[in-house]
This record gives sequence, structure tokens and C-alpha cells, in this order.
Amino acid sequence: MTLRLRSRTVVAIATGLIATFAVAGAHADDKVIKIGALLPISGPGSYFGVQDKQGIELAVEHLNKAGVNGYKLEVKYEDSACSPLPATQAAKRLLEQFKPDVVLGEECSDATLAIMPVIEEAKVPLLNAGSSAIKITDPGNPWTFRIMPNEVMQGVDIANNAYKRLNARTAVLLHENTNAGIGNANVFNETFTKLGGKILADIGFGRDVNDFTAIATRIAGLGAVDVIPTYTLEGQGLKITQALMQAGVTKGGDGKAIQLGTIWLPFGFEQKAGKAALGYIRIVQFDPLDQRPLVRDFVTAFKAKYNQGPTHLNAHAYDQIILIADVVKRGATNAQQIRDALAATKSFSGVTGSVAFDKTNQNTSMDTIHYMETLPDLSWKPLGWN
Amino acid sequence: MTIVLQQVINGVVLGSLYVLVALGLTLVYGVLVQINFAHADVVTLGAFSAYFFIHGAGGGYVASIAVAFAVGAALGWLMNAAIFAPLRERGNELLPLIATIGVSVMLENAMLAVFGPIPYAFDSPLSNDVIRFAGTFITLQNVLIIAVSVATIALLYAFMKFTFLGKALRAVSQDRETAGLMGIDPDRLVMLTFVIASALAGMAGAMLGPVLVLTPFAGTSVIVKAFAIVIIGGFGNVEGTILAGLMVGLIESYTTQYLGPGMIDIVVFALLLVMLAVRPTGLIAEKREENV
Repeated sequence: MTLRLRSRTVVAIATGLIATFAVAGAHADDKVIKIGALLPISGPGSYFGVQDKQGIELAVEHLNKAGVNGYKLEVKYEDSACSPLPATQAAKRLLEQFKPDVVLGEECSDATLAIMPVIEEAKVPLLNAGSSAIKITDPGNPWTFRIMPNEVMQGVDIANNAYKRLNARTAVLLHENTNAGIGNANVFNETFTKLGGKILADIGFGRDVNDFTAIATRIAGLGAVDVIPTYTLEGQGLKITQALMQAGVTKGGDGKAIQLGTIWLPFGFEQKAGKAALGYIRIVQFDPLDQRPLVRDFVTAFKAKYNQGPTHLNAHAYDQIILIADVVKRGATNAQQIRDALAATKSFSGVTGSVAFDKTNQNTSMDTIHYMETLPDLSWKPLGWN
Repeated sequence: MTIVLQQVINGVVLGSLYVLVALGLTLVYGVLVQINFAHADVVTLGAFSAYFFIHGAGGGYVASIAVAFAVGAALGWLMNAAIFAPLRERGNELLPLIATIGVSVMLENAMLAVFGPIPYAFDSPLSNDVIRFAGTFITLQNVLIIAVSVATIALLYAFMKFTFLGKALRAVSQDRETAGLMGIDPDRLVMLTFVIASALAGMAGAMLGPVLVLTPFAGTSVIVKAFAIVIIGGFGNVEGTILAGLMVGLIESYTTQYLGPGMIDIVVFALLLVMLAVRPTGLIAEKREENV
């Protein structure tokens, strides 16, 4: 009896060991590129994180079916909360525990600026798709790469279009008091003023401001305002747009001013803002009507997986992953090689547009910027300005 | 002149919203000498209740205010019965205070899990109806906010002054033990305080929903101001809270107009510090036991 029990025990242990080694062996055989994702999952910018994650997971799922040059992609997410302190803590956690070959993130400039030195010290490339502050790539950090046009590229373009195409001569700047908010507003201010335009007011506010009626009242008292460039996250953006309508400043409230918005706002903003969004002109980083096969395939796959169309946040996160896959295909398999291959990227084509990094690791392509005007039925009219 | 008048209107609307949130805080403090950190989350839950009553059940906005009121009341009852009352029985004042922080974090994360982080567009049908007169404007939503605030204050005042329960509540706030000897059940009155305070918070949520950026963190953004208002008005003093709420609303509007919105918190919290230094009992100085 004792012997039988012992035999059974030995068999059980042996089976367990074989199974364990088999699993471990399978993992050891898998060649993996570890991708850390620092995304805002909580807080006012969490809509970025939610939508980024959708884009990332679609791309990873698609690429891992066949593998990339014999490698699988593995992603680990950390909540960086669009804010410097939690972002830094999340970055340290990610680097120590996951040891990624490349890191994606953050979306908010303040958070990105905070994590850059931590990631540089670890000598891991950071691929950014959503932050606009110029300091991220000026003077340049050898380990940080940015796909998105920076605040100067965006701001100069918006100011030029406001002055030359919309014949705007007066503007009021509305921005959150963050690096990106202030930076974008300053660039518009400088460019617009140089062209001969006049800034009637430069109004900055914290992310804790909820009621924008007093701000809209102040703008209504400034006289004829042609354009109102606005740099905020979605939540405050909605309230500003509605307050400007109620104060009779913008077209939705029978006023004349045109609000100008940035890449920061997600798709669907107009439907949430309603009538107040009438005449709103904003840039988006992804054109869902783009007829390139790559884009059509992405739109189809996204709809199949999520039962809805992709937004530009979904798209730029998708592009981050397929750009990493591209450098892996070019032979890069560790942090240093991925950094070097990213730096050498000159002709990558993604769903948002093309990528060609300059000496500062800033993407110089402007084909990711698309100007859209909101029509009375809240649909978009592409303006074709770029 | 028009701008000055318009900012008065804006300030009164904002102040009315702050008063709705701060009244519940001041009630709980007045009776229990306890700060309820979970109050902000009851406000948020009230806003979500109203939102889903409209968008999920097809209800009207005005009815949604009543729904939020009821949800707030139920949550107040539940929080007190399940968490705060048992902790108070242990005789340690710190435990229920810390528990309010725990409840707040729990509610916030539960709402994040259920409702998600993306802002909801809570549009009251009254937000787009704008009344314009003499160069000024006010939305019907804001008219409703002022009307509800005034009605709430009047009803609360009448309840406190003229009903048996109101008088009993004041008795408990003055001396809990003596009130108990007079045949009043202090525990039931404390429960009533939580129910009323949370019902007011829920209702405030429904009123704030169309004004706030509606996310699971919405209430947190107004609660700091509400705390400041409670302190400026005088801890637990209802009249002081009303006065301080309106004052802070007006200060915010005029600071936005003449100094910029970036200065709002500096001005409001400088006022708070001045009040603490010069008049620590608040705008309306009374003995604490007479506040409610």
C-alpha cells in the first residue's frame, strides 16, 4: 500500500516536472520583444489610454499571428495618469519589473517630459505619439522619438491657416496651464502676431476649472473675435464650446467666432458638444476616409474587433506598434538596436500618415494633419488644407 | 456695466451649485463634528444616476433630479448603516473619519470600473435654451439651478426650525447625550442627517451634471471648494455656508474677468487663510453647538 502510494506520488511529481519543463521550454523558445506602455488609464486624460489600448491590442493580435521576424510582441501596461508624478513612478515600475525593449507613451506632454530622463537613463527607446510640447524633441533626446507633429509644426500651421484662409485678424487664446497648453498657445500667438493678427486675450486655466461661463462672458465682452484656438482635453473642451455658444460668441450661438481645435480632442467630440460645435475647425491625426489599402484594412479590422470605427487615438497607437514591428523586421531585437533602427526611419508608412525622423527624432511629415470643419448635422467636412 | 451684471449672474449660479454641495457637508459636520470625504462621490453618483435615468430609462431631466435625490438618500443610509455607525459605536472618532476616505476611494474606483473614464456628455435640454435680456444671458438650466438652490435652502430652514425632527436634530447637534436623555434616539437622528446630506449631494450631482465634466472624478473637482466654503462660512453653520458659497461663486466670476481663471484658486484659498487667521469661527460666528 505504502509502495503503491509512493509510486503514485513519484508518477505525479514526475508528470508535474515534465509539464513544468515543457511549459518553461516553450516560453524559453519564444523570442519576445517586450513593449512597455505608459498610458493614462485614470484621470481626465484616461480616454487616451482606453483608445490607445484598443489600437495597440489590435495591432499586436494581428502581428502575433505570424510573428515578426520570428519574434512575438508582448505588451505590459502601466497607468501614468497624464501627470508627471504618477508617470515617473509607473515608468520606474515598468523598467524595473518588466525590463522592456521599447516603451510607448505618454500622451500628455508634462508626463512625457517627466519620464524621458528615467527612460533615457535605462537606455530604452521611448516612442511617443500624442504629446506636442516642443521640449520633447528640442534640442532632442537620443532615446525619445515622436511620431506626432510638435506644437510648433501644428501651431504655425494653424495660425497660418487662420490668417490666410479664414481671414482672421483677431484671436482669443484658450488653453490649459500645462506645458503643451501654454506652448501651443505661444506658438499660435507668435505666428499670428507676426502675420499681422491681434491677440485680444490669452486665457489659461487649471484642469480643475468646471464652469466656463465666466470665461465665455469675458470673451463676449472683448468685441469682434474671429478665431478662438483652444488647447484642452476633451472634458473641458466640451464645456468651453458649450459656454461659448451660450454666450453668443461662436456660430452655434449665432456669433461669428470660429473655434480652432487640435489633435487632443477625440473623435465623437462634435456629437457630445451638439449644436455648440457648429463651425468648429480642428485638426485630426487620422483620416478615416483615407483610401490607402493599409488604412482600409485597419478600419475593417477595427470595426470587426470593436464594432465601431477607429479614432485617431486608436490609429496612432496602432501605428506605434506597426512601427516597432517594422524596425524588428529590419533586424532590431534589443533596446539599442531598436533605438538605432528608429533613428534611421525615413520612409515608414502608417495608418495616420508617414514617418521620417530628423536629427532630433521628430517626425518631419505633416501628412498626419487633416483639417475638418463641423457641419450643422455634426458631420465633418474635410477642408483639404494640407 | 453689462459685463459686471453678467458676472453677477454667473457668480450666483456658480455659488448656488457650491451651496448645494456644501450644505450636506456642513450638516454632517454640524451634527457629528465629522468631515465626510465621501460626499464628493455621492455627488458624482447622483450625476450618473440622473444621466442614466435620462439616457437609459428615457426619463425627463426634472424627474432625474428626484431620482438622484433618492439614490443619494439610499446611499447615505447604506454608508451610515453599514460602515460609519458600527465604527462610531467603538468610540473612536478617528475611525469613521478614515472610513469616509476609504469609502470615497472605493466609490471612485467602482464608478471607474462601471462607467469608464471617458467623459459623458450630460446635456440638460434646458442648457441650450438661453434667455437674453439687456445684453446679459442665462440658460434655463442655470435658472433651474438657482430656483432649486433657493427652494432647498428654504425647505431645509423650515425643516430645521419648525418640525419636530428638525428640532431633535438640532438638539442632538447641541448635546447628544442630553438629547438622548430627553427621549430622542441620537443614532436615528445621525442616520437622518446622513440621509438628508447624501440626498442633497445626489441632487447637487443632478444639477451639476450638465455643468461638470462628467467622469467618475467629477465630484472631486468641486469638493475642495465646498470644503473651503464650509470653513469660510463657519464649520457646520448653514447660514454661513450659504453666504460663503455665494461669495466664492462671485469671487470666481470676477477673478476670471479681471485677473484670469488661473488666479481663482489663489484668491479663494487666500481668503480661506485670511478667514482662518482673522475669523476662525467663520463668516457667521456662533457657538458650534448652535450651528445646525
